Amino acid sequence: MKRTLLVCCGTGCLANGSEQVVQALENAINKMGVMGQIEVKAHIKRTGCNGFCENGPIVQILPDDISYYKVKPHDAQDILSALQENKVVERLLYKNENGERIKSKLENPFYKPQYKIALRNIGEIDPGNIEDYISRGGYEALTKALNMSGSEIIEQVELSGLRGRGGAGFPTGRKWRTAAGYDVFPKYVVCNGDEGDPGAFMDRSILEGDPHSVIEGMAICALAIGATEGFLYIRDEYGLALKNVNAALASALELGFLGKNIMGSGKALNLSVVRGGGAFVCGESTALMASIEGRVGEPRAKYIRSVQRGLWDCPTVLNNVETFANIPVIIRDGGPLYATLGTKTSSGTKVFALVGKVKRTGLVEVQMGATLRHLIFDIGGGIIDDRPFKAVQTGGPSGGCIPSAMLDLPVDFDTLTQYGAMMGSGGMIVMDDRDCMVEVARYYVKFLTEESCGKCTPCREGLRHMLDILTGICEGRGQDGDLELLEQLCQTIAESSLCALGKSAPNPVLTTLKYFRDEYEAHIHNKYCPAGVCSKLTTFVIEKNKCKSCGLCKKNCPVNAIRGEKGQAYEIDQRSCIACGSCRQACRFEAILAQGRAQK
Amino acid sequence: MNIVIDGKSCTCEPGEFLLEVARRNGIYIPTLCNHEGLLGQGCCRVCIVEVVERGWSKTVVSCIYPVLNECEVHTNNEKIKQQRGIILRLLQKRAPQSEIIAALCKAYSAPALDKLNEKDGKCIICGLCVRACSTLGAGAIATVNRGITKEIAPPFNEPPADCIGCGSCARVCPTKAIEYHENETTRTVWEKTFTLVHCASCGAQMGTQEELNFAAEKAGTEPSTLCDACRKKQLALVMADVYSAT
Ligand SMILES: Cc1cc2nc3c(=O)[nH]c(=O)nc-3n(C[C@H](O)[C@H](O)[C@H](O)COP(=O)(O)O)c2cc1C
Ligand code: SF4
Ligand code: SF4
Ligand code: FES
Repeated sequence: MKRTLLVCCGTGCLANGSEQVVQALENAINKMGVMGQIEVKAHIKRTGCNGFCENGPIVQILPDDISYYKVKPHDAQDILSALQENKVVERLLYKNENGERIKSKLENPFYKPQYKIALRNIGEIDPGNIEDYISRGGYEALTKALNMSGSEIIEQVELSGLRGRGGAGFPTGRKWRTAAGYDVFPKYVVCNGDEGDPGAFMDRSILEGDPHSVIEGMAICALAIGATEGFLYIRDEYGLALKNVNAALASALELGFLGKNIMGSGKALNLSVVRGGGAFVCGESTALMASIEGRVGEPRAKYIRSVQRGLWDCPTVLNNVETFANIPVIIRDGGPLYATLGTKTSSGTKVFALVGKVKRTGLVEVQMGATLRHLIFDIGGGIIDDRPFKAVQTGGPSGGCIPSAMLDLPVDFDTLTQYGAMMGSGGMIVMDDRDCMVEVARYYVKFLTEESCGKCTPCREGLRHMLDILTGICEGRGQDGDLELLEQLCQTIAESSLCALGKSAPNPVLTTLKYFRDEYEAHIHNKYCPAGVCSKLTTFVIEKNKCKSCGLCKKNCPVNAIRGEKGQAYEIDQRSCIACGSCRQACRFEAILAQGRAQK
Repeated sequence: MNIVIDGKSCTCEPGEFLLEVARRNGIYIPTLCNHEGLLGQGCCRVCIVEVVERGWSKTVVSCIYPVLNECEVHTNNEKIKQQRGIILRLLQKRAPQSEIIAALCKAYSAPALDKLNEKDGKCIICGLCVRACSTLGAGAIATVNRGITKEIAPPFNEPPADCIGCGSCARVCPTKAIEYHENETTRTVWEKTFTLVHCASCGAQMGTQEELNFAAEKAGTEPSTLCDACRKKQLALVMADVYSAT
């Protein structure tokens, strides 16, 4: 039996040393081959991100269906020996909540509830090998599309109900239909791979792990609207994505899926990569196009849309990476089948980057309409150390904070928006009782003051003033009227900013004001931070009777403010303490208490 | 076509900017970054108005909003007044020394947001000066940084090497933020002093030598020593000579 060893080489696993694991496995195989044990023909593929990054490097063995986690180079010998004896290395298997070891990837509680379309090939194929992609049905959809008219292709996309995954959820079929309707040439197809939300890595994983799915999606779009030229705009920091996409473009060209004469059809498409400058605002459609044209990446007023006048004033379709990755499946299996997934108004699946205070973090793809509870508690396994859940920030800086009372809301384009948040592009940051919601709002506003292009007054000056107010509140200088002024600023910024960065910038502030107003009030009126985060308002003390004198707090204190020795309760020297909270995070016995300063 | 602005019916061409239509009909909307020679800015946002179109209400900036459908426009209702007030207060925080902004704040009863930092000057970072300079071709100044640290600056924060002293930046600036001095013989802008050239015939001021050189280079001629009027006069004399000779 020929066995395949799949070693994940996504950015996360690479950082954890998967190159060395590949080396060690290769060495061990060579060594054993010399010893004459020829039944095991292990074969190593370099696969893209598996999405379960914190447990990497991940090694999957097919067809045995064994998945090993946190594999180190010195495990290579054990893995291969066990394989020869048809055994598994227990210690490398995933351990679930009940302490059971799980052999199959599909039985792993992180993967089991997932439904993969956009991530269908990730972790299963070598992104550097086009044959791998083809062997899993790749480029079948393009072949099919070449025998369809543009209008027929668009009809399938319309029937699928697919909506843009970049955040706004605009119906993809309608966008394509509009662009197809203009008789102005050339037309362009552009893929938005700028992904600047803090904490998001959905698009990066697709570009790294399955670049052909995006290229095929773009090629189908080009056929549908009549474009002959296209660009993939990819953030400059995404080194591996850039490398894999460039390699994939070259091999697609070589096999005739791109170029002057696509698969002998006489149709042409030239795709190239543009490196984004790394500014968050360059993900905004008009700024992105300005940047591709070589101008400053600043948005312009969108009273005329870019499907009509986009790149170089020509009709342009801009879609997100994940949107394009869905297209081949829709064309291959038909729009109506895709529409059966998810909810009525938000069909299909969505990829989320689940991070923060959740036990299992990583990339998750589920059908639209899954509840937040399902994502955070079933797939994510709940909150680290079983602390109380406080909020989840969805949609990045344009999204909002959703409280526990709303955990049963389905996640789709429309529901969260009704509550002031937004599904957005799929970032999902889980927070517990030790996260301060005023500080969270301040963090996002700070991020945006740096990322706003600075062109229009409400966004540039409004965010600056909001940051001043929020910083004041966090530092104990909050006063009556602050919250009302914040609300007025939010309204003005949301309505009168030039682009969607400014228009959505108030969301984190508005949602925290709406759902966690008592926290703001505690900061302003009692000069107290209930979560014990805002350092100017917090002191930490060690409760003598709970301290087991393990010394972990002392080890974690960055300024050496903790004294103590074995057998005695430790103590914090308040004069040198900077109230960073590292000790409280480190303590396993809940012995460190956050108190207000005013109460002292 | 017809639209209704503040209750008044106004005729306009499809695609015309809302601000123009309003102005033609005697309806005042305050503006800062709008300049007829450099259209399409739309960044100061003081000219916001509410547009109600087929039952949908939206806030738009009138200086660059093309009228395409019948609509009802409110240039100064409570909502717009409040938001414009906030925008003016924010601009005042940025440019506390600007008289025009102070005057607008007063007109819209917009009190200062907090204690103004007088060091902050007059510039509202609308970018008109940069566009003026690059449109005429010199490209001596630029915006630097983004977000709240954005500012207008010559390269390296030194007097700009490419500046020809034409003063267009200072003239388009809505808040008079660019210092500009002129006497009989010199002109100073961006801390750079230029010698002014006078017409060899009538003595009228013709601008800086750098300006004349720049224009000549663009036209592929030698810098002129006569002002436009005298040059025309001279040309007429030459022509007269030519005709009388025939
Ligand atoms: C500030 C800002 C940043 C954005 N960043 C991204 C991004 O990184 N990736 C993306 O696909 N869309 C981003 N968008 C949304 C795009 O403007 C655009 O709507 C999207 O790419 C359209 O593709 P879709 O219809 O497939 O979602 C951003 C929008 C704004 C306002
Ligand atoms: S809203 Fe912000 S990012 Fe958008 S144009 Fe205005 S300043 Fe630039
Ligand atoms: S100097 Fe004047 S014209 Fe230039 S950006 Fe500032 S306010 Fe605008
Ligand atoms: S005058 Fe219209 S936005 Fe500045």
